[in-house]
Amino acid sequence: MPRNEYQSQLADLRADVLDMSETVAERLEMALEALETGDADLAQQVIDGDDEINQQYLDLEKQCTDLIALQQPVAGDLRFIAASFKIITDLERIADLATNLGEYATDGETNIFPEIDIQELGDVTLEMLADAMAAYAEDDSQQCYAVDERDDHLDDLCEIASDTVVRELIESDELDADEDIETFMEDVSRFLLTIRDIERIGDHSVNIAARALYMIDNNDELIY
Amino acid sequence: MSEPETDAEGTDEAVSSPTPGSNIAGASGPESGPLIEEPIIQSKDISVFYGDEQALQEITMDIPEKQVTALIGPSGCGKSTFLRCVNRMNDLITSARVEGELYFGGKNVYDDDVDPVALRRKIGMVFQQPNPFPKSIRDNVAYGLDIQEFDGDVDARVEEALKGAALWDEVKDQLDESGLELSGGQQQRLCIARAIAPDPEVVLMDEPASALDPVATSQIEDLIADISEEYTVIIVTHNMQQAARISDKTGVFLTGGELVEFDDTQKIFENPDHQRVEDYITGKFG
Repeated sequence: MPRNEYQSQLADLRADVLDMSETVAERLEMALEALETGDADLAQQVIDGDDEINQQYLDLEKQCTDLIALQQPVAGDLRFIAASFKIITDLERIADLATNLGEYATDGETNIFPEIDIQELGDVTLEMLADAMAAYAEDDSQQCYAVDERDDHLDDLCEIASDTVVRELIESDELDADEDIETFMEDVSRFLLTIRDIERIGDHSVNIAARALYMIDNNDELIY
Repeated sequence: MSEPETDAEGTDEAVSSPTPGSNIAGASGPESGPLIEEPIIQSKDISVFYGDEQALQEITMDIPEKQVTALIGPSGCGKSTFLRCVNRMNDLITSARVEGELYFGGKNVYDDDVDPVALRRKIGMVFQQPNPFPKSIRDNVAYGLDIQEFDGDVDARVEEALKGAALWDEVKDQLDESGLELSGGQQQRLCIARAIAPDPEVVLMDEPASALDPVATSQIEDLIADISEEYTVIIVTHNMQQAARISDKTGVFLTGGELVEFDDTQKIFENPDHQRVEDYITGKFG
């Protein structure tokens, strides 16, 4: 096959993007576990690891710009590089949100509403991210649509969870001292931010699926 | 694809008609086809044989007026052969045989009554290597006008053509000097001026920038964009990025003289329909 070096660079880019996604998924999983167990060391590993992911992002960004500048990609190759360029941005944002979750885990009580299953929400996002990256890796357009549909389910779960928090807040009659109220409000605020960040991770996974669909079929249907 | 409209009524005399492709028939022949706005050129099942070898396979393609159409493909795929069909340059190759129909402004240029010389006045050509005549700059540009016994203001037409070829400012004070003294890029622009001086309707270009440096190439590319406002340009190029930069339509010829895909340039370079085209333009083949 002609342009062997170019083809090799394209293959490297795909492998490196998948490698970054595995690191991001691993950090997200660790952050969710830290939220569940309160393991501060685990949470700190996620926080400290964000710089590594940022560097991966910058390296991949350079790979993309070098390919565009030096190889003048067209057609499917161009869509692949353009999609990869966008996908690494979403992966980096997911890593930032995982870092947020790690910080919430170290900041205080994370289990103030036991009836809300944060792990269930987190598992949905992990699966969405894995499916979106599988679509990218295997050129599977059906998987892209499946991720998009799953996000509606995640949004519903997050909305129910937020409503439950607000209802609990309104109905709560256990607080009497000012300092209890202040601490409780901080915990509530953190819990709502946790739900919001998980919902955003779902949105970024849909973005990845949307770019994968564009890459595979030149179809921009899922982009916004 | 619309059918060529060859059955409409003609008129007795084509000389004054603004119809694209008019006045290419010989003096005793019937009038050219009816007025059609676009496409200006319609190829219908054009095949070319060099002896027993088939170089083009039933090429069917509509080329729009006053746009740039690029023909790309690997060496030996037939793109230059097709270009030479348009102004019947293949007539000059004794072993060449053309089948099919090629309509210019609705008139089949392979009809018996078409005068190839008259046709080439309407369809100018620029070649890979700049080929100015060993004459002055003025005489180079005026050459085609002399051939067609132009009786207007030759100097004005020379100036107009040189301006059209973006060369006037560089040579206006040396019109009597030899065209061979110009740089390669200037010589090619001189050839373009020579091609457009007789006021053709179509300009064929066979790799017009492949022998030029990057600066001269970009000047030629800018010039192609400019002249496409006045003329239909069909360009053969090996440089796919050049085709992507300057053309509105792109035809992809692949080995065996087959036109595999012809579409808007953006479509070809972003999402071609055919895997063979995708493989060719991304460098996986060819």
